[in-house]
Amino acid sequence: MSSAPPDLDLPFQYHRLANGLRVVLYRNAALPLVAVNLWYHVGSKNERPGRTGFAHLFEHMLFQGSEHVVTHDHFRLLQQVGGVANGSTWYDRTNYYETLPSHQLDLGLWLESDRMGFFLPALTQENLDTQRDVVMNERRQRIENQPYGQAGERLHELLYAADHPYHWPVIGYMEDIAAANLEDVRAFFATYYTPSNAVLTLAGDFDPEAALERVEAWFGEIPAGPPVPPVIVPPATQKGERREVMPDAVRLPRVYVGFRAPAYGERSWYAADMLSAVLTGGKSSPLYRDLVYDRQIAQDVGASVSPYEKGGTFMLVATARPGVEVEIVENALLDHLAAAATTPPAPDELERARNRMLTDAYSSLQKLDSVADLFSQFATYFDDPAGVATEAGRYLRIAPEELVELAATHLTEDERVVVQVVPREAD
Amino acid sequence: MDALPPPPVDRTTPPSAGPIRLFRFPHFLRTRLANGLAVLAARHSELPLVSLELLMPAGGQYDPEGQSGLSSLTASVLDEGTRQRSAMEIAAAAERLGGYFATGADWDVGFLSTGLLARNRTAAFELLADVTFHPTFPAEEVERLQRQRVAEILRRTQDPSALADDRFLRVLYEGTAYAHPLIGEEESLTALDREALVSFYQRHYGLAGAALIAVGDFDPEALLREAESAFSTAGPAAAPVPPPEIRPPSRPGISVHIVDRAGAAQTELRMGHPSVSRSHPDYPSLVVLNGLLGGKFTSRINLNLRERHGYTYGASSRFSGRMGPGPFTVNAAVATESTGAAAREVLFELRRIREALVEPEELTETQSYLVGVFPYTMQTIGDLAKRLETLAVFGLPDDYYTRHLERITNVTREDVLDVARRHIDPEHVAIVAVGPAEALEPQLTGLGPVSVWSAQGEPQLV
Repeated sequence: MSSAPPDLDLPFQYHRLANGLRVVLYRNAALPLVAVNLWYHVGSKNERPGRTGFAHLFEHMLFQGSEHVVTHDHFRLLQQVGGVANGSTWYDRTNYYETLPSHQLDLGLWLESDRMGFFLPALTQENLDTQRDVVMNERRQRIENQPYGQAGERLHELLYAADHPYHWPVIGYMEDIAAANLEDVRAFFATYYTPSNAVLTLAGDFDPEAALERVEAWFGEIPAGPPVPPVIVPPATQKGERREVMPDAVRLPRVYVGFRAPAYGERSWYAADMLSAVLTGGKSSPLYRDLVYDRQIAQDVGASVSPYEKGGTFMLVATARPGVEVEIVENALLDHLAAAATTPPAPDELERARNRMLTDAYSSLQKLDSVADLFSQFATYFDDPAGVATEAGRYLRIAPEELVELAATHLTEDERVVVQVVPREAD
Repeated sequence: MDALPPPPVDRTTPPSAGPIRLFRFPHFLRTRLANGLAVLAARHSELPLVSLELLMPAGGQYDPEGQSGLSSLTASVLDEGTRQRSAMEIAAAAERLGGYFATGADWDVGFLSTGLLARNRTAAFELLADVTFHPTFPAEEVERLQRQRVAEILRRTQDPSALADDRFLRVLYEGTAYAHPLIGEEESLTALDREALVSFYQRHYGLAGAALIAVGDFDPEALLREAESAFSTAGPAAAPVPPPEIRPPSRPGISVHIVDRAGAAQTELRMGHPSVSRSHPDYPSLVVLNGLLGGKFTSRINLNLRERHGYTYGASSRFSGRMGPGPFTVNAAVATESTGAAAREVLFELRRIREALVEPEELTETQSYLVGVFPYTMQTIGDLAKRLETLAVFGLPDDYYTRHLERITNVTREDVLDVARRHIDPEHVAIVAVGPAEALEPQLTGLGPVSVWSAQGEPQLV
């Protein structure tokens, strides 16, 4: 099969208001829906040690009302018209989104512009206290009460120095969450929640000219805000492998092998992601076949590459079968990495990975909220919304030799971090 | 050229809506082939993808006593080898076509499904038919998957959410097929062999009781012809097997079941009781009732537990919608020290909804949510396939979804009170809490008799 880049037809408009707000308009009238998606270019990497988890706690606060929207009305008003809404916080960004029946577009614009421009008057200590409790329960639910839940956190702590902005977890440390106060909320809002630090995408059934006018009407009067302070990223200093054994309430040992990877958007990032797809993407992939199917030393195996702005992570993870020493599983992973650093994937392995990747790319365009999120992402990181349509082609143009080069330069012993999660003695 | 300044906006009240554009349920084709196979097909041509799925009367409800996990294991071995292809050749073939091939079982049906690039549809049909009609159940693959699943069962004993679900179903459905997890239990699973799987396949994988769900970028008429040629035989079974009757045991009152996880950071809470089948005539009213009670962010239970008290990151309720009497479940992960208070707040909400008519605004907000959100749940090929599956599995009429929104809108406050009184039973709920027993027991004492279990399922002394 040829690997010609797929022809994705995603016509969009890209505008910048006088206050710096960037606006992407993508019309698709297949259903009477519109997705409103707002990215603020702030995440946990804008925090500092000792004050972690703040970007995420702030996201919760932004659902607690604004000057013209009383507490709980944000969700209530959206849900009563059939809207679906949420937000999420990541290392590099925070997003807020709602998908509405298309005739309710103005409702979404009103709610988002009110919390961008008129948030502080509604801020109360009582709401902060409740959301701090909610977030501490979220941390317990997602991290502390999950088997292997703290391994990813530990891997980042070992990959990145204590003053590196990817060192700490997005949700933050418990004591930092507990210490957040109203003054922090005010300062964070003034610094980062400005039109010039945001991208607004509308995707769905609307008239672009009329929609742009509505966006201008709701958002145009909000002041641009000061420039965002730069994030300092200290250079990596690791020389030699780092490893740690974490006892946990688990029955099966699991091993994580991590490396620092190229930054999202670089050509070599796509090589890293293709390599992870070749190695573990599907039952016929070499790692699944070897570890899970043939030798049956692992219960599962996976690889992932994080799309971080300032440099990603490449991670392999495998869970040992009962009675199998975790070292045996780890060695098998390392053997495959060593092979990847010398031998390019077989043509049929690469073809399978490319075809799956193409299906995944198409699938991610099926929902308006995910299309809108992709447009916001490419506008926020690269000032290039067209990336939504061209990214699949960037994957397909990666040559097999680039996978070898990526493995040989980035996935080496000196750059390696290994975390083994093993059953605690008492369990 | 400078644009004119936009007209000023009024921020003090929610803006009015524009002209509404109505949603119509997509056209689909529904027919039955000569061999008995039902076919439901719809075109969805936004993207060059296709999804094909065969549903068989072979779900977990058919697991015989002592053989829990049989339906799920049988389904999972189907794509581990056919007369022409090995397990790895099946996987590689699907991946080369730009997709996946998956088999499995839920409570109602066994399924074989594939999703891939639309241009590869013909090859997909051939692969699907091969796996459906010519599985060989290689003994070494059966044993390999048994070992893998025994390890999975072991892993579930460290997963608080799975522990809570498993204990909850055991309490509600003791003595029926619903009492065991779909994956089975170590003892029942290890006792299965190739023969048991082949015999289950022979009984349950005939096309007479099956449905083909096809959605994607194709002409439905052409697809029908392809289905006719790919599935021209009837397969192994002579006649479809009727679903078994599931009779949950009656329970005398509220009971408390603690699964001990010493040192756990949080407690997984489940509360509820057996409820009615997806086919029950009250189901549309129950959808409205549940939306208001615990089915959305602004429901009574979530606003109480999360937004008013901060006990949890989120609390929700649902009716599970199975062929048999599936559970009504309230679900939350709560701070351990708040577990007793949270359980009492849930009981308060379950009693309150039976005591008085809901507020008119609560009802209209819930109805407009359910109607307004419907197109959102119809965006992807998978979304549409899911709706067609529901029609097929529960034998619902062609116009079910066309009339669904109308039925939702017609539910009254009196209807909500009526179905709450008949289908919510706070005085017989089972309360399952997975967390540190030492901290939980004093908080839950007084709600009902308390039993304590280990993560491995052994009863503990209270």
